[in-house]
Amino acid sequence: MFRFRAHTVTLVALTVLTACGGSDTTPKRGAIVDSRDTYDPRSFDPALSTDVPTGRAVGYVFEGLTRFSPDAQVEPALASSWTVSPDGRIWRFTLRQNVKFHDGSAFTAQHVVSSFTRVLDPKTRGGRGWPLFPIAGANDFAAGKAASISGLKVENDSIVVVTLTEPFAIFPKLLAMPVASIVPTTIGADFGEKPIGTGPWKMVEWKHDDFVRFIRNETYWGTKPLEDSLVARIIPEPSTAVAEFESGNVDILYIPEAETRQWEQTEEKKALLQAAPVLRLWYVALNTTRGPLADVRVRRAINHAIDTRAILTQLLGGRGRLAAGIIPPALDGSDTTRAPYAHDVAKAKQLLTEAGFPGGLTVKLWCSQDATQSRVAQAIQGYLKEAGITAELVQRESASMREAARKGDADLVLKDWYADYPDAENFLYPLLHSANAGVGGNVSFFRNAAFDSVVTASRRETDITKRTALYVRADSMAFAQAPMVFLWFYNELYAVQPWLKNWSAPTIFNGQRMIGARIDHSTP
Amino acid sequence: MTFLARRLLLAIPTLAGVLIAVFLLLYVAPGDPVQQMVGERADSVTIARLRAELKLDESLPVQFASYAGGVLRGDLGRSYITGRPITQDIRERFPKTAQLALAAMTIAIVLGIGIGVLAALKPAGAFDKLLMGATYLGISFPVFWVGLLLILLFALTLKWLPPSGYGGGLVLILPALTLGSRSIAYLARVTRSSMLDAMSSDHVRTARAKGLSNASVVLRHGLRTALIPVVTVLGLDVGSYLTGSILTETVFGWPGLGRYVVNAIARRDLPAIQGTVLFLSVVFVLVNLLTDMAYKRSDPRVS
Repeated sequence: MFRFRAHTVTLVALTVLTACGGSDTTPKRGAIVDSRDTYDPRSFDPALSTDVPTGRAVGYVFEGLTRFSPDAQVEPALASSWTVSPDGRIWRFTLRQNVKFHDGSAFTAQHVVSSFTRVLDPKTRGGRGWPLFPIAGANDFAAGKAASISGLKVENDSIVVVTLTEPFAIFPKLLAMPVASIVPTTIGADFGEKPIGTGPWKMVEWKHDDFVRFIRNETYWGTKPLEDSLVARIIPEPSTAVAEFESGNVDILYIPEAETRQWEQTEEKKALLQAAPVLRLWYVALNTTRGPLADVRVRRAINHAIDTRAILTQLLGGRGRLAAGIIPPALDGSDTTRAPYAHDVAKAKQLLTEAGFPGGLTVKLWCSQDATQSRVAQAIQGYLKEAGITAELVQRESASMREAARKGDADLVLKDWYADYPDAENFLYPLLHSANAGVGGNVSFFRNAAFDSVVTASRRETDITKRTALYVRADSMAFAQAPMVFLWFYNELYAVQPWLKNWSAPTIFNGQRMIGARIDHSTP
Repeated sequence: MTFLARRLLLAIPTLAGVLIAVFLLLYVAPGDPVQQMVGERADSVTIARLRAELKLDESLPVQFASYAGGVLRGDLGRSYITGRPITQDIRERFPKTAQLALAAMTIAIVLGIGIGVLAALKPAGAFDKLLMGATYLGISFPVFWVGLLLILLFALTLKWLPPSGYGGGLVLILPALTLGSRSIAYLARVTRSSMLDAMSSDHVRTARAKGLSNASVVLRHGLRTALIPVVTVLGLDVGSYLTGSILTETVFGWPGLGRYVVNAIARRDLPAIQGTVLFLSVVFVLVNLLTDMAYKRSDPRVS
């Protein structure tokens, strides 16, 4: 999932701003005001959803056949239940009846077919069709080689049958992604501005770069939101968001990394904090095709050279858990007993010597201009120096960095990966499977036949116990091969006003739809 | 040929130059726009299809001709990221930037000239030193820093004004003051020195000799003469309002064109960047034209 941040202002400014004032008394407004978006959603058209603010907004207005709970469990949404054939290829979704779109029209089985077809249609220009590619015939249709998608069939008014090219056990999770949302049959040219979905909220006002206002969908089929309205304010500057929170104008605030300690130090502020272990991995991709990095000993040496614990504690306010693999602890397949690479300079030097680089080596380390990322990159540079590795920093804005990484022009790339759906597959497959080398997400260009076959088998395995075992195995292989520096799994930290009740920070970006959240006006 | 017509004709090559320069700059800049469109996880088939649809694989002259042709028809294209027409985006956001810039300019004129005149009354006096010291800081402080300090003081500590957002009235005050801060300081310094020159000139001495009141001497005879360089500075400063709006709008969450173009650059939204830069250049050229015409009116020697 793609995130970018607008200007981040100096630490000093943040400190000064947060040093004063507490929250005001409970506001009179009857709307929940969220300040987490730092830029405008792209569009409300689910087909264009590729980033967090857009995905979150789409998740309020639209629904797919499935959805995620705040703690990232997959739940029935427009499909009330589903079954899968023993071979794992044929999925029968039973659809919920009496569901209406915001314009009053009824949701039918045909909408599932038309929505998926629209996303994959080359004319839609979405470019985000991959969650639907497992459907048989989807690739041909997307490439313009077929007139329809052969794997999609309406069996009757309440049943849709989806046939996949090959077994894929976690397919229902992909259907909870914004891009798989169900949309009406007729889509106007201004659909991105005037969306019509079946979700719990209706979008009623969108002032670009300012705010989006939603009101409760009174005809929602499920549990309706408790509050009448919800406002997502778009505040690019973190310090300004902090000031709005301190003024009591917003209810939910994302705490920037550099400010973590500041909030944890005062009891009054600490009481407002809520941490969520999000499915997000920080890592340094090591391009396994470039020079010395092709040698696993060099890659391990780099892992041993860096004191990840110190960086996590000093630069990210300890917000995270050291990574010993790429599967976050919250997901099946994570082996929490595996120990991370120890910070051991002597061992790093010894490995380099064994690999034939007793005098050290020189690499280029790419990082973005994000303030935290650049500080982390500088720390890594310092640690590598101690082990005799000269890392030249190449700092570029994220667009250039991404292009270089995908083309394979970078040795080391400091990155983070934010899960699209809560499953170990979403880490193992895009980040390290050879099928995704380059643009698919594998910028380590890691190509390991044994690893590939375990990951491929795990994707096809329908038995959850066996699948989890395969995940553990693949993760352990990746850890041993070290195609990256395993940094940490990140925790997001939010401040929540005392009057906002029943809101929990979601593990996955579109998991919190603000249904049960409410403003308690009796809060002193 | 009239003065106006000649200046308008001269604007055409300027704008054509801007069009070509922006196009070439973005063409050579790294960062593929399609990769920004598709997000973190993508496939090469989709990327190739989108590149073809957007004509990004065509030769440079073909791409430029296609873009320039659109511009001539008044079509700035659609955003790669949002799919919205660029003209619509500019139409929505420019009035907000203009509103902020005008408010900032008004504050700068009133405060800047006021401070300059006051400081010039008793040159090298304590008051003059204090004001000039303050303007020195005003010029040196970065805009976003001023903005954050103002939020801290007026929104968080005194609770008089809202910290951010868009609107008229109270919401406008802090961003306008921030955007105008550098200009206030600059105008004050120019006014002061220009006033000092004017006050020592012959016609002011004559005015005093006639026995006019002090206020009349300062305002009607001194300030009036002193204002000519001030108008120049004001005209030259319009550019700084446009660039200053980028930071100010980011700090205050003001939904104007400055923030729009920053986001567009970060996301390699080529049509949005090209369209906005071209539009701002037109604004800049027009403002310069107006300044020149104001000169011509006040000083017939300009031709």
